[in-house]
Amino acid sequence: MIPAIEIDNLYFKYNGQKDYILKGINLSVKQGEILAIVGLSGNGKSTLCYTLNGIIPNTFKGDFHGSVKILGNNVKDTDRAELATIVGVVFQDPDTQLFSPTVEDEIAFGPENLCVSREEIGQRIEEVLKLIDMERYRYENPNNLSGGEKQLIALGAVLSLEPDILVFDEAMAQIDEKGKGKIKNVIKKLKEDGKTIVMIEHDFNNLDIVDRIVLLKDGKIQEFKGEL
Amino acid sequence: MIQDKSLDPRTKLIIVISISSLSVFIQDLRYLIIILAIAILVSKILGSEIFTVLKKLRRMLGVFIAMIIVQSLFIKGGNPLIMIGKFTLLTDIGIFRASEFLLRISIILVSATILMTSTSREILQGLVEWKIPYEIAFMVSVAIRFLPLLGEELQDTLTAIQLRGIDMDKLSIKEKIKLYSHIFTPVVAGAIVKSQRLSIAMECRGFRAYNKRTSYIKLKMNTKDYLISTASIITSIFIAYIYLT
Repeated sequence: MIPAIEIDNLYFKYNGQKDYILKGINLSVKQGEILAIVGLSGNGKSTLCYTLNGIIPNTFKGDFHGSVKILGNNVKDTDRAELATIVGVVFQDPDTQLFSPTVEDEIAFGPENLCVSREEIGQRIEEVLKLIDMERYRYENPNNLSGGEKQLIALGAVLSLEPDILVFDEAMAQIDEKGKGKIKNVIKKLKEDGKTIVMIEHDFNNLDIVDRIVLLKDGKIQEFKGEL
Repeated sequence: MIQDKSLDPRTKLIIVISISSLSVFIQDLRYLIIILAIAILVSKILGSEIFTVLKKLRRMLGVFIAMIIVQSLFIKGGNPLIMIGKFTLLTDIGIFRASEFLLRISIILVSATILMTSTSREILQGLVEWKIPYEIAFMVSVAIRFLPLLGEELQDTLTAIQLRGIDMDKLSIKEKIKLYSHIFTPVVAGAIVKSQRLSIAMECRGFRAYNKRTSYIKLKMNTKDYLISTASIITSIFIAYIYLT
């Protein structure tokens, strides 16, 4: 079985920066695995996350060497529409991921962009809302929800694209314990469905659901020994 | 009362465009008062929360008053009402024009509240079905969504400054201007970071992946929509005709 993610000798530095932020990353993630990447702020966790869905090097330009393969597709050569259906990313701040007036519109946004039929979008909305247990909020304005609920909607909006791989870029950093519990439950369900999950984290309390932990330090992936 | 949800957003857009166009075209106080009354009536019939919206805009009142004063001061025709020496400060035409401006702004604001009875997604879809590019319509709706957040951020920064012991009321105008120049830098920088994050989130969800897109929302103009749209246009043309003759 091909790995879900295969990163080979990846180097990257942003335009205008002196030093490389990623200095020879080698990483392989099995399909259906939950991997946590931990590390201190500024060590390139989010940069690594952007390389997984092609934001780097396709949107953020810089010096990019090495290869990032997602289910065998090199992100550099894969078009955005295809990547969006392979890798979904949930970011830290729910407020900058939600821009629609209702939860339903928010979840429909991604499939609409990918020209999914109206009937199929309706079906996906129902399935996603059921999975994240937010059916009762279908016609609510996301602005009126709590932080945890907003993050669930952001996750739902990503799930409606039916990606095989999900990346959580410190997605639980701004939410309370109750919200974290809800998101972890959804992550467990997603693993049961065979999804591959990468959690970029700095809070060890969120790592109880992961299969493997690696440390990103000084631009390289290292073995995690319990300390950052 | 007409249930707002039963009207197509395009019908509401036609009503708003008709009323707003009249307010811009007509330069007669009596007509403008009638149009304002019509705008209030239509807004109420369509169930818009007109007074709640206007209450929220009361902070803008100072700006409107300042604009009215400036406008009345710079129009020099007509009979002078207030003079300082040989210098005419205020004329009757100045007051007339300022009142016209106030009425015009009120009509546009009141009629715009009609659009608030639909969600921004519905309005956006209405515009898209009128062949306005989705990206442009979407940009406008996102700007409307994020503008209040910018205001909140500005307020948060001000509060943070006040918590550090700076009493805004005791500052001179010069000091206030200096302070605001310090506030705007982090607020603008924050807005840029937020917009960048937003665009990344949108790209990750396939925004502009293809030249076209589908829509989950389906709009349908029914007989009532056609009747109201036609009535709006005919009434506007009729008022304009009476005004011109």
